[in-house]
Amino acid sequence: MTDLAWLTVADAAELLRTKKLSPVEYAKALIARAERHDPHYNAYLRATPDIALDDARRAEAEIQRGEWRGPFHGVPYGLKDIVDYVGLPTTAHSKILQNNVAKTDAPVTQKLRAAGGVFMGKLSTHEFAIGGPSFDLPWPPARNPWNRDHFCGGSSSGSGAATAAGLLPAAIGTDTGGSVRNPASMCGVVGMKPTYGLVSRRGVAPLSYSLDHVGALTRTVRDNALMLDLIAGHDALDPGSANIASGGYTSQLGRDIKGIRVGVLRHFYTSDIQADAEMAASIEAAAKKLADLGASVREVSTVPLGDYLACNRTILTSEAFAVHEQWMRERPQDYGALARERLMAGAFVRAADYVNATRLRRKLTEGFHALYADVDVIITTSSMDPACRIDDPLAVEYTYARQSRAPFNVTGSPALSVPTGFCQSGLPLAMQIVGKPFSEALIYRVAHAYEQATGWVTMHPQLI
Amino acid sequence: MANDTLTLAAVRQMAADIGLTRLTDEHVQQLLRATNAARARRDALRTLMQTQGITYADEPSHVFRLTGEHNHD
Repeated sequence: MTDLAWLTVADAAELLRTKKLSPVEYAKALIARAERHDPHYNAYLRATPDIALDDARRAEAEIQRGEWRGPFHGVPYGLKDIVDYVGLPTTAHSKILQNNVAKTDAPVTQKLRAAGGVFMGKLSTHEFAIGGPSFDLPWPPARNPWNRDHFCGGSSSGSGAATAAGLLPAAIGTDTGGSVRNPASMCGVVGMKPTYGLVSRRGVAPLSYSLDHVGALTRTVRDNALMLDLIAGHDALDPGSANIASGGYTSQLGRDIKGIRVGVLRHFYTSDIQADAEMAASIEAAAKKLADLGASVREVSTVPLGDYLACNRTILTSEAFAVHEQWMRERPQDYGALARERLMAGAFVRAADYVNATRLRRKLTEGFHALYADVDVIITTSSMDPACRIDDPLAVEYTYARQSRAPFNVTGSPALSVPTGFCQSGLPLAMQIVGKPFSEALIYRVAHAYEQATGWVTMHPQLI
Repeated sequence: MANDTLTLAAVRQMAADIGLTRLTDEHVQQLLRATNAARARRDALRTLMQTQGITYADEPSHVFRLTGEHNHD
C-alpha cells in the first residue's frame, strides 16, 4: 500500500470505492501522523479525531453496503477556522471569538459532509484572516513543513501546512488578498481562488465582503478540481453568489495544451516589484515548459501592480473595519498586535475614497479582462520571495506586501497557485495561472499539463 | 493630503471621536502608523483616478441589486 500520508484524493477515492482501503484505517493513519508531527507545525488549531473516526466508520459501513457517494467518501479534509462546522467554535484564531460555537454548518461544510468526507479538524489561520503570523494569540502560528523555522504563508496557514505535511489530502481556505494562494505557494501545494461568487461564503467569517473567496488547497491539480466540483454552486442566501451552472472542472484534465494562448505578465515581477531571482527564473522556466508543451506564449501587460494593490487594500481595510468596529471599541486588547494594526488601517478611510476605490475596481477589472482578447490564460508570480523566517518580523512585513495575488481579488478572476520547484535552500517556488471569469476548467487543464511534465508534485517534505 | 502630519494626540482625538476610547498608548501608536499608511494609499488612489480617466459616470464595481431580478425576463 502507498504511504497513506501522500495519497491523492483521486487515488484514495479509487482505493476506497473498490474496498482496498478502509476509511477507518486511512483516518487512523492520518490522526497518528498529526499526533506525531503536528506539535512541531501547528497546522491544526483544533484536531477532531473523534469526529474523524465517527465519519470514517460511517463511510466504511456505507461503502461496504455498496453506497459509495463519490470521490470524497471516506476522504479526510480540514477547514480553515473561519468556516463554520456545527457544534464547534469558529475562532478565527482569535481570543475575540474563542467561544463562538457555530450553530449550523457553512454550505461548503455541508457539501463536504454530504459527500461523506472525514472531518479531521479546524486549521490554523492568521487572526481573522489578516493578522499573522502571530505569537500573541491563544494558539501558535502554523509553520512551514519544508522548514519549520520558516513562514508557511497565510492567512490559510494551517490549510497549506497540513496539506503539504501529508496530514490530510485536501483543505478549505479563504482568499481576500491572496490567502489561499500564499500558503499554497510557500508550502508547495496547489491552491485555487475560484471566480468571485462561485463558492458560497455563507458561514465563513468575513474579512471583506466584496473581496472574499472560498477555495481549496490540495497536493495535486486533479484533487483541486475534484474539490471545486464539490464545493462550487449557487447559494441563494449568499448575496455575492453567482447564479451560474458549475462543475465539470476535471473535464479537460489530460488534454494537451497545444495552441492554448498563454500570456506572461512579466512586469509584475521584473519592474513593478523585482522578485527574488530564483522565483523569477522559475516563472520563466514554466513559461518555456508551457511553450514546449505546445502553448503559444507571449508577453502581456496591464497597469502597474501597485495600482491593483492600492485598490485592494483600500476596499479591504474599509470593509474589514466595518466588520470589526464594535470589537475595536469594546475589546481592542483582545486582538493580536498584527491584526489590530492591519484592521485599524480602515478606521479613517473616507466614504468617498472607499467608493472611488470601487469605481476604480470596475475600471481595472474591465481593463484586465480585455487582455483575454489575445490570450486564454495568464501566468505570473504569486509570492515574490520564498518563505522567510517566521521569527523575523521585519522579513515577514517586507515580504507580506511583495505579492501579485491581490489583483485577482480586485478583478474576481480565478487564479491558481501551482508549484514550480524549489529554491537552493529547499523552499518551494510557485506561479499563478489566471483566467477569465468561470474558466477554472481551462486553468486546471494548463496547470495539470505543467504538473505532469515537471514532477514537482512527487516531492514531499521530511517532517520532524 | 500627503503632507498632512498626524500627531499622536490628533489621532487619539480622532479615535475618541469614533468611539475608540479603550485604546492603550501602544494601540494609538499602531493606529497612527496604520492611518499614515492608509493616507498614503488614498493619495495614490487619487492619482490613479486621474490616470485611469474615471469620470462621474463611472459606477462602483458592485451596485445594489434587487433580489429576484432574474425572475423578470
